[in-house]
Amino acid sequence: MKEAKAILHDGARVAIIGGGPAGSFFGIFASKLAQDMGKTLDLTLYERKSFFTHGASGCNMCAGVISESLVQTLALEGINLPSTVVQWSIESYFFHTLEGSVEIKSSRLRQRGIATVFRGSGPAGSLAKGIQSFDEFLLGKAMEHGVCVNRSFIDKVCREGEKTKLYSAGNILQECDLLVGAFGIKGATGKMYEDIITGYKVPPTVKTAQSEIELGNDWIAHRFGHSIHIFLLRIPGIKFVSVIPKGDYITISVLGKDPKLDHIRAFLDHAAMKKFLPSGFKVPEKFCHCFPKISVGAARNPFAARTAFVGDASSTRLYKDGIGSAYITAKAAAHTALLHGIEEKDFREYYFPTCKFLNRDNLFGRLLFAANNLISFISPISRSYFNIVQGEQKNPEKNTPYSDILWDMFTGSRFYKDIFFRALHPWCIIYLLGAVVIYPLKKAVFSFINR
Amino acid sequence: MSEDSLLGRLYKDGETIVEEGMLSRTMYVIQGGKVKVVKNDKGSETVLALLGEGDIFGEMSLFDASPRSATIKAVGEARVLAIEYEGLLKRIKVDPTLALRMIKQMSQRIRDLNVRLISAQRTMHHASDSLLQLKKAEDVRIKDLEPNIITLITRLQEKLHTITEQYVHQDESLRED
Ligand SMILES: Cc1cc2nc3c(=O)[nH]c(=O)nc-3n(C[C@H](O)[C@H](O)[C@H](O)COP(=O)(O)OP(=O)(O)OC[C@H]3O[C@@H](n4cnc5c(N)ncnc54)[C@H](O)[C@@H]3O)c2cc1C
Repeated sequence: MKEAKAILHDGARVAIIGGGPAGSFFGIFASKLAQDMGKTLDLTLYERKSFFTHGASGCNMCAGVISESLVQTLALEGINLPSTVVQWSIESYFFHTLEGSVEIKSSRLRQRGIATVFRGSGPAGSLAKGIQSFDEFLLGKAMEHGVCVNRSFIDKVCREGEKTKLYSAGNILQECDLLVGAFGIKGATGKMYEDIITGYKVPPTVKTAQSEIELGNDWIAHRFGHSIHIFLLRIPGIKFVSVIPKGDYITISVLGKDPKLDHIRAFLDHAAMKKFLPSGFKVPEKFCHCFPKISVGAARNPFAARTAFVGDASSTRLYKDGIGSAYITAKAAAHTALLHGIEEKDFREYYFPTCKFLNRDNLFGRLLFAANNLISFISPISRSYFNIVQGEQKNPEKNTPYSDILWDMFTGSRFYKDIFFRALHPWCIIYLLGAVVIYPLKKAVFSFINR
Repeated sequence: MSEDSLLGRLYKDGETIVEEGMLSRTMYVIQGGKVKVVKNDKGSETVLALLGEGDIFGEMSLFDASPRSATIKAVGEARVLAIEYEGLLKRIKVDPTLALRMIKQMSQRIRDLNVRLISAQRTMHHASDSLLQLKKAEDVRIKDLEPNIITLITRLQEKLHTITEQYVHQDESLRED
């Protein structure tokens, strides 16, 4: 006799482990679709943190940039970010290189379309009021959709036949029909799953360094404007540093090889950054900082029978738009579970392609970031690129292909594959190489004439 | 509320966001404030709809490339987030359900339009019934009836004109939105 297909029937119990963006998005979209289908799900989300506390303990530790595409997508989904959640609205990116600085705006839309947020309720020791945590805001949205939030730490999961049992501190909390792993990569929960789900392997990660420095709203508005500042300064061990304005604070996010607190201090002491700090600014003895892991690959087998992993615990875009990736994977998993079923083959057939799409796109991302690193370390090329972009930004109404490549790469507004093929366009390369020859010649001629 | 944390673009009272007749495929989501959908006819402005926070407009441009058929203006200060067409198409390709909310809003507008159409039809039936009744009144001489009929016809013409105008405008605003 043929076995009945495993589906999420009316009243099915779904347990989501993790209340970061991926967990909340899963809850929201599963509940929405279930409602459209005339079903009711019993959705419980487990989150160990309280996002109401200041500092790292109440925060999911990231740079907190909500990409242009995610801001737009959420607005279309009916999730408008309130001004208590948005700490700063962004309209441009500044690139600071040893060749100089250049501001890039989107060539497509002129607006403040990127949001910066605090994942928790603000930096450690901050007295700032009126900061609403982004993660708590999303949890609130999930609750509005009927998701029940339980603030417990799930420390044990047991599979018994078709059911999965969840435990916390020795107590059984529930049995569920579908388990959703949205626990990210920062804790050890993923390792627990490697033991119980055959084939699942958490994604590879690298360490990053982050800090929050208080400079005051007025200073930030005056000196940083509505821009994210990217520093490509060839500091050994550092790929690039992003400075992100957020109300009274700037977030400094360092990407490199095993970055430490000293790297942050060295960056704050660098001449290129000093220009942005008040005169006489002294790096405080203590400031909020953390060293979170960032995903640089994909999880292996992010699904099993009656189990799906979403967000960082599954696949995420390289260095960019992790929260946007959480939205993509969580929604795809929710729709698979409701529309197709919760067997392993359902997730493989309908959910896994989304993960594979992101993973494949990251291959192009890897190449792009490698090219960017190479360019920033070869002075003649980086100078030429810089000059071209600077020239483009003088007439932003015209075609600005080189600026667009940088914009899309650093904002995450386009998939990497799309950017890669634009960057690889023969004209793009010929023009850049031409500029490598022409700019020094032009400079030499000018200096000869001036002499 | 700090101005520094507001998303999108701020439009002042009366400022035009979308201009009738212009070609553009950008759509918009209202982040704060209100906007009105207006139709200009020989200098006079007819307000077709008032939209508020969270409402989407310009979404028909996703489905066709016709020029904008109504003007959208801010009512008081309005914050509006523009949605870029090409990026949206690429996202819809990855996740087609992203278009669902727009389709839901459009189907809601078609429902509203149907209700208005039915009410317009009722008014017309009512008017023609009155005319028939008048004609049936045998003891009234046609000559005596003339002024009454003329007034009725003029009123009917006026009513019909406004109804059809409303319908056409609503239809256009739907195409616009
Ligand atoms: C330095 C850095 C900068 C970044 N900057 C950006 C950026 O600017 N923009 C962007 O979009 N992305 C950024 N990212 C990526 C982004 O942080 C992640 O992609 C995103 O947080 C993934 O969401 P998630 O819900 O999958 O995981 P997480 O946000 O990590 O959430 C997981 C949640 O699960 C909970 N949890 C874990 N285990 C358990 C358990 N056993 N029981 C109960 N709860 C549990 C945790 O407490 C946590 O709240 C950055 C990452 C790093 C490291």
